[in-house]
Amino acid sequence: MKELQEAARKLLSEGTVSVVLGYEMGPRGVRAAFITRPEDVGKLIFNTSCVQNLTTYLNPRRAQITQLGRPAVVVKGCDARSLAGLIREKQIERDKVVVLGVRCGGVLEDPESASELTAETVSVRCTGCKVREPHLADQLFGELPAEPPVNHRREEQIAALEKMTAVERREYWNNQLERCIRCHACREACPMCFCVKCTAEKTQPQWIDAAATLESNRAWQTMRVLHQAGRCVDCLECERACPEHIPLGLLVRYVAGRVEERFHYEAVDDPTVPAPFGMYRPDDEEEFIR
Amino acid sequence: MTRKFITQQELALLVGNLLAAHTRVIAPVRDEEDPRQVDYKPIESFSQAVFGAAIPRRSMKEFFLPITEVLLSYKLTHEGVKITEVPTQAPPQVIFGALPCDAAGLKTVDKVMNWDYRDELWFGRREASTIVTFLCSVMDHTCFCTAVGLGPEDSKGSDAMLIPYEGGYIAQLVTERGEKLFEGVGTAATEIMISASEDTGKAARAKVEPNLPAIPGELSEWLKQNFNHPVWKTIALRCHGCSACAALCPTCHCFDITDEHTSAEAGTRRRNWDSCQTSTFTVHASGHNPRASQSERFRQRIQHKFSVYPSRFGEMLCTGCGRCSRVCPGGMDLPTIVGELVSLAKSESEVSGQ
Amino acid sequence: MNIYQPHLMRIREITDETVDTRTFKLEFQDPSIGQTFAFQAGQFGEYSVFGEGESTFCIASPPTRSGYIECSFKATGKVTSALRRLAVGDTVGFRGPYGNHFPLEKMKGHSIVFIAGGIGLAPVRCVIWNVLDLRDQFKDVTIIYGARTVADLVYKRELDEWAARQDVKLCLAVDPGGETPEWKGMVARIPTAVEKTVSSAEDTFAVICGPPVMIKFTLPVLEKLNFPGDRIYTTLENRMKCGLGKCGRCNIGPTYVCKDGPVFTAAELRALPQEF
Repeated sequence: MKELQEAARKLLSEGTVSVVLGYEMGPRGVRAAFITRPEDVGKLIFNTSCVQNLTTYLNPRRAQITQLGRPAVVVKGCDARSLAGLIREKQIERDKVVVLGVRCGGVLEDPESASELTAETVSVRCTGCKVREPHLADQLFGELPAEPPVNHRREEQIAALEKMTAVERREYWNNQLERCIRCHACREACPMCFCVKCTAEKTQPQWIDAAATLESNRAWQTMRVLHQAGRCVDCLECERACPEHIPLGLLVRYVAGRVEERFHYEAVDDPTVPAPFGMYRPDDEEEFIR
Repeated sequence: MTRKFITQQELALLVGNLLAAHTRVIAPVRDEEDPRQVDYKPIESFSQAVFGAAIPRRSMKEFFLPITEVLLSYKLTHEGVKITEVPTQAPPQVIFGALPCDAAGLKTVDKVMNWDYRDELWFGRREASTIVTFLCSVMDHTCFCTAVGLGPEDSKGSDAMLIPYEGGYIAQLVTERGEKLFEGVGTAATEIMISASEDTGKAARAKVEPNLPAIPGELSEWLKQNFNHPVWKTIALRCHGCSACAALCPTCHCFDITDEHTSAEAGTRRRNWDSCQTSTFTVHASGHNPRASQSERFRQRIQHKFSVYPSRFGEMLCTGCGRCSRVCPGGMDLPTIVGELVSLAKSESEVSGQ
Repeated sequence: MNIYQPHLMRIREITDETVDTRTFKLEFQDPSIGQTFAFQAGQFGEYSVFGEGESTFCIASPPTRSGYIECSFKATGKVTSALRRLAVGDTVGFRGPYGNHFPLEKMKGHSIVFIAGGIGLAPVRCVIWNVLDLRDQFKDVTIIYGARTVADLVYKRELDEWAARQDVKLCLAVDPGGETPEWKGMVARIPTAVEKTVSSAEDTFAVICGPPVMIKFTLPVLEKLNFPGDRIYTTLENRMKCGLGKCGRCNIGPTYVCKDGPVFTAAELRALPQEF
């Protein structure tokens, strides 16, 4: 990714930014890179293993990162949508970050077990991607690749869930959510979970009990997913972070589907487009108010 | 130490007998959705157990320190409060196919659980448990048990260790509990078998040793002296503070204590897994947080495991299982980080002539 | 024996020290425990409201008085707010005593200067009464106590008792602007009050507790008077949970506040990593 490296080198050596957030090879595969010196830009790469959404690191409360100074961030089209969300929700200012967009044709579901992009190995969220070229970018890099292979696995899982009776579905989710250990890794990895004090951390009143019982796990996950309605960009960092392998991607995708139906809204990488969570339209459907 | 040879059938029969006697038996079991993965789970038949297939994703910690555990129940009455105690005796359980790193981790945590005040909830389960490890054959490039003074053939924490051998296992009966479990089972191991088991052990060690050299004892003191070293500011930039590492770690034991209502008049006091990696772990009532950013919190993780615990209890709070690194969504790799700190310590002491 | 199981206490008396600080006098519901319960000045406990949780406070009453213990607290969070909603006769849980203690044995035969600010008087008050209950075993006793305003002074009835004693030198102070027309004490911040009241460190121990900023500016005053770091004692507030060294929350470097503290000398604190 020579052009990306060159752009990063220029930004750093001219002092436009103090740190470039991108991807590099680490001992366990691709990981986030925090390049602060122009001579290190050779570490920057971009390939189908660059799964992680780096905009999580732009959370203004991450003091260890803000202390590095003005950032540039490498984003795929999907990541640009959470960047737009952070700007839309006034967490960061557009002109305080340099956006290096990379054109992307899909990423691997599990870079550790595959290296070639196929219908089986591509991430479920890449199917039907409309943002292979990010719109929110100061500079764009890479050739526009072909569309990602189509992986229907998640659609099939959701369809299977929808075919279940309510009792069966509850049984399914009980089995999944009783494994939740309330580590909150899903929250910490999520770019849009940036609340200074999460509802789950509030004790007066105690909205959600802290112990990892099924009841409070259900309350936690439901609350988190609903707080993400219209904000989640389906980057699946939550699912990737979960040490219990709970299929959180099914929950967020399902809610996103309902938001699309009801509010005709999909996460976009344009911060000027208002999201349904923060606004209403006079023609919003209200048939559920009886 | 007694050594026996046990056939596969004898092992199956032993487990079958335990299950028939309603003893809880835990073993690695394949995940239904992703058969490449295994987890420690209670089994109902020997056929569910799968040995030597993969590193169980979680440690055995949850069978001794439950993810959430009731400490007492209370009931509010007109006269005051009535407390119902929880039993500190646990029903017997046997774990087969445990990894040596996981068994060793339990022994490491025993020390803090017995520090002046004896945690009877932990020890009730420890005393009710027999742990049968298998000499590890599932190591990968992230393992570093040998670097922390353990090894795939190390029987620390095992009541018995099984080494696969020609249709069965050579069983090292390490403790009395191990002897008791295998009483009347198997035949005496021959010299050839014992020698073979030692070779297996050596070969297993040779697979892990290249991953990280032995961590020198001097690291503990260097970490203590270099609490304010600039390396801490940048060592954990990619860390989210998600605590997935602590959740899977066999030796992380930090917990919180909370009360919960089960009804208006009754409820429980519980302890729940917690982690120093979370942002609110050390927040004071005044709002002051001594570890206000992730760099300080990650420093605590390293310091606690590789300096504080060694200085208080004589060993590192780490068994080199590598789970923290495998699960980390941010790509933090502990053996690499520890290796870098060791190099830093060495180069700085060379410079200062110490 | 489950080390997490609390004793059941009954609230015998409630005193409002200030608008936001309250003191509970607690007695053991099991009289046999009440008779044998013993602790040392400086130790703390985990006090709980069943259904709300546990909170960490020092034992504010002296070990020389038996049959009850006291704690003083401000309603800052879930558990302290719940404690504040309780009435005389209600049940409180108590686990303890935990931690180390002020080394009174070492201080016997010497003079002591007590310095406290605001609610920081609570742990110091415990030692003060312990000393006053054994008054002839100590030389000079000086108490310097202050708060932002007159209303913020705690244990007001006891300040009067100390003022009336001939064997105690008491200096009360409020911050400039915190005095009332009737105020007869000093108008100065604690560091200044110490400067004006203490003339020598000879043969004297200092026991100090208060807000971090107060300690930060008072320690240099004591050092100027040549108090050595190992004759200045303080008690540390830290986020603690189990009190038993197990939950991993309270360590500062290799020091566990619940086991090696909460009482530390200024010298010990200086040697700790500054993460508290």
